[in-house]
Amino acid sequence: MRSRIGVYICSCGTNISENLDIDQLVRFSSGLENVAYVKTHALLCSEDGKSHISDDIIKEKPDRVVIVACTPKEHEKTFRNVLQKAGINPYLFQMVNVREQVAWVTADKQTATEKAKAYIRAAVRRVALHEPLEKREIDCNPDVLVIGAGPAGMEAALTLAKAGRKVFLVEKNSFIGGRVARYEEVFPKLECASCMLEPKMDEMLHHENIELLTNSEVREVLGFLGNFVARIQKKAGFVDREKCLGCGACYEQCPVTVRNEFDYNLSDRKAIYVPYTGALPNVPVIDTKNCLRFGDSGSSTYREAYELGLITLEEYEMFRNQDCSKCRDACSFDAINYEDTDEIVERNIGGIVVATGFDLFDPSVLSQFGYGSIPEVYTSLEFERILAQTGPTGGKLLMANQKEPRSVAIIHCVGSRDRNNKEYCSAVCCLYALKYAHMIEKHAPEVKVYDIYADWCVPGKDNQEFLDSVAGWKNLHFIHTKLPMNIAIQQADSTIALSCVDLAGKKQEFSADMVVLCPAMIPAKDASALSDILLISRGKDGFFTEGHTKLAPVSTNIEGIFIAGCAQGPKDIQSSVAQASAAAGQLLSLLVPGRKLELDVITAEIDEKACAECRICIGLCPYKAIVLDREKKVAVVNTVLCKGCGTCVAACPSGSAKSRHFTTQQIFAEIEEVLK
Amino acid sequence: MKDFEPRIIGFLCNWCSYAGADAAGSARKIYPPNVKVIRVMCTGRIDPQFVLKAFQSGADGVLILGCHPGDCHYKEGNYNALRRFHLLRTMLAQFGIEKDRVRLDWVSASEAEKFVATVNDMVKKVKILGPLRKTAVA
Ligand code: SF4
Ligand code: SF4
Repeated sequence: MRSRIGVYICSCGTNISENLDIDQLVRFSSGLENVAYVKTHALLCSEDGKSHISDDIIKEKPDRVVIVACTPKEHEKTFRNVLQKAGINPYLFQMVNVREQVAWVTADKQTATEKAKAYIRAAVRRVALHEPLEKREIDCNPDVLVIGAGPAGMEAALTLAKAGRKVFLVEKNSFIGGRVARYEEVFPKLECASCMLEPKMDEMLHHENIELLTNSEVREVLGFLGNFVARIQKKAGFVDREKCLGCGACYEQCPVTVRNEFDYNLSDRKAIYVPYTGALPNVPVIDTKNCLRFGDSGSSTYREAYELGLITLEEYEMFRNQDCSKCRDACSFDAINYEDTDEIVERNIGGIVVATGFDLFDPSVLSQFGYGSIPEVYTSLEFERILAQTGPTGGKLLMANQKEPRSVAIIHCVGSRDRNNKEYCSAVCCLYALKYAHMIEKHAPEVKVYDIYADWCVPGKDNQEFLDSVAGWKNLHFIHTKLPMNIAIQQADSTIALSCVDLAGKKQEFSADMVVLCPAMIPAKDASALSDILLISRGKDGFFTEGHTKLAPVSTNIEGIFIAGCAQGPKDIQSSVAQASAAAGQLLSLLVPGRKLELDVITAEIDEKACAECRICIGLCPYKAIVLDREKKVAVVNTVLCKGCGTCVAACPSGSAKSRHFTTQQIFAEIEEVLK
Repeated sequence: MKDFEPRIIGFLCNWCSYAGADAAGSARKIYPPNVKVIRVMCTGRIDPQFVLKAFQSGADGVLILGCHPGDCHYKEGNYNALRRFHLLRTMLAQFGIEKDRVRLDWVSASEAEKFVATVNDMVKKVKILGPLRKTAVA
């Protein structure tokens, strides 16, 4: 098959011509098979250069084009557009990178010219094998899925909803507000946390564009920017949100009392419950593990007994199916439905914001802190609950014995900034430690506070002022140690004995009735599962990785999926909310209603006749783009999902998978020609 | 033997290593011309056949460069490349091709230095090995 190839050689000012003999290249290229003509230009990417090419194409009527210039990463798109306008399919084109990879990196002109010739020869052979490919466009869905209803998730949802986008906000808990819902006050202005959150929560709950799915988890996501499909598991809560008025009559009647995990087990709740007074949405849920009716775990002893053959199935069923219906009987609004079941719902969206927040490093793995073995040692989140009016002590600073402590020790950097644990700084501990000191001063001014720190990390415009204002309190004693990790904490009769070495090398020994640890922030537990579902990558610490640390701080490796808040790394509320706004803004500019999205042209395809149905490709595709057509017994590429990595092509043992624009034949031709 | 200039094929992934090679160019780092680059979208696309084909067509060495683990533009193409690479080396040994003639390494878009160092090193190693015995892949 004869082709009529036009070759254009660019001097790039003198960038290329300085180290390549253009005349030699012209003579060389003219002699190659299928080359109809060779033209040169001083600057092909300039307006003049581009019109030179298109005028020339119209005149010379080549059927394929080779451009010898700079890196395709810079101008491949530019020239494809020129070709398209001039009436040639933009894929009947090949670029030869003689600037970045020849002229600029080769010691002498003749060697460089020879290297360029090899590349030109390869490109001319390759382009003759190119096939025309058509641009494909699809509609873009402007709606968005937001995962996590903490401050970041709510901000993103509201921003998008106000711009008219439909938002599906998925929250795994039965309540919204995230960790912040547990706080009494927030630094540095010591604002009341619930007063700050409530207007937002209220606005969000009543926004017509937001569908809130509490008790829900994302199970599967397929697709790509503009066209994702999410499968979401809505767990049965057994209380109808429409009918329930939130009067609380049901939980008053529930006979089961268990520890309340919202308060980190420092308080009790019923089997039907709202986690704290004021939780939104104010709709109780039934915890089937502990409810007598369902008794998933309440009867686990019975189940075990049954499995061990100690009791009969009937006996087991009898214990399990206790006919308790006290909550339903107490409800005047017929809101409780024991028949409620888990449900999988599907939502179509164009983009996703991941705002799954954080968890705390478990300090019990570091025995020196006594967490888990000494009763009055708490984590920061537990202490937040002790300080909260909706918490187990009603906001009073009390120990488990209901007495006020005489002294409290607050320890920074538990697991943070430590090579053996979490190397990073958790960014907020210094500031909330100061908040604790301030709140203790306010609630119990006689209590002595020890603050054991290594460095102060209080960047930002209000924070130094905050430190200075708290530091003046006479009962607050700072102990500056090199490594809070080297502290020793031991139970001593009625109090806790602490000792550490201060910066001057002096051993400091003191006692406190209560100890508050500030553990490192770590990614939320479900981050790893979610990264498998969404295919977004995580860094070595497990937080989701941003597209670029500085320039794309809320993007991920997957187009259309953004991260905000502590899912990306430790940070305070203001930074989380700022990231959420950024993520929402990115989505608003990407997903414009009515705008079409261009699909990858370079995808894989599978030859039906040759496919041996071995399914190797199906398992390897990172985008789940290949499915088995059971009727035809062949693997089929969904070219909407395929990104064209070519993994399946390289792995296909029958040679039936093919990469568009990177066919084996084309690459073989290149190999042969560059080696000639 | 002194004048032996090895011919090496470099398969570079579009997103990281090809960009790394471009970065070496922008920084005007001079390196030997022996490595001829063939751009692929992902190292995952590199079929063992490509490597065999290169040797059959007269290459003395094959250099495969991709994104660092965890940074693959396609999530895990480079892991697939790595897996395949180990198999490939075993297979090549059966053809009598020394294992230093093929190399897989990671070069990110910003690692111009590493790109140049890897090319230099590869050229040096293949020079020491000398030309590929034609009989090996006949
Ligand atoms: S059915 Fe009974 S045990 Fe279960 S939640 Fe209702 S009141 Fe509690
Ligand atoms: S080229 Fe193959 S493996 Fe890669 S995304 Fe497309 S179908 Fe999946």
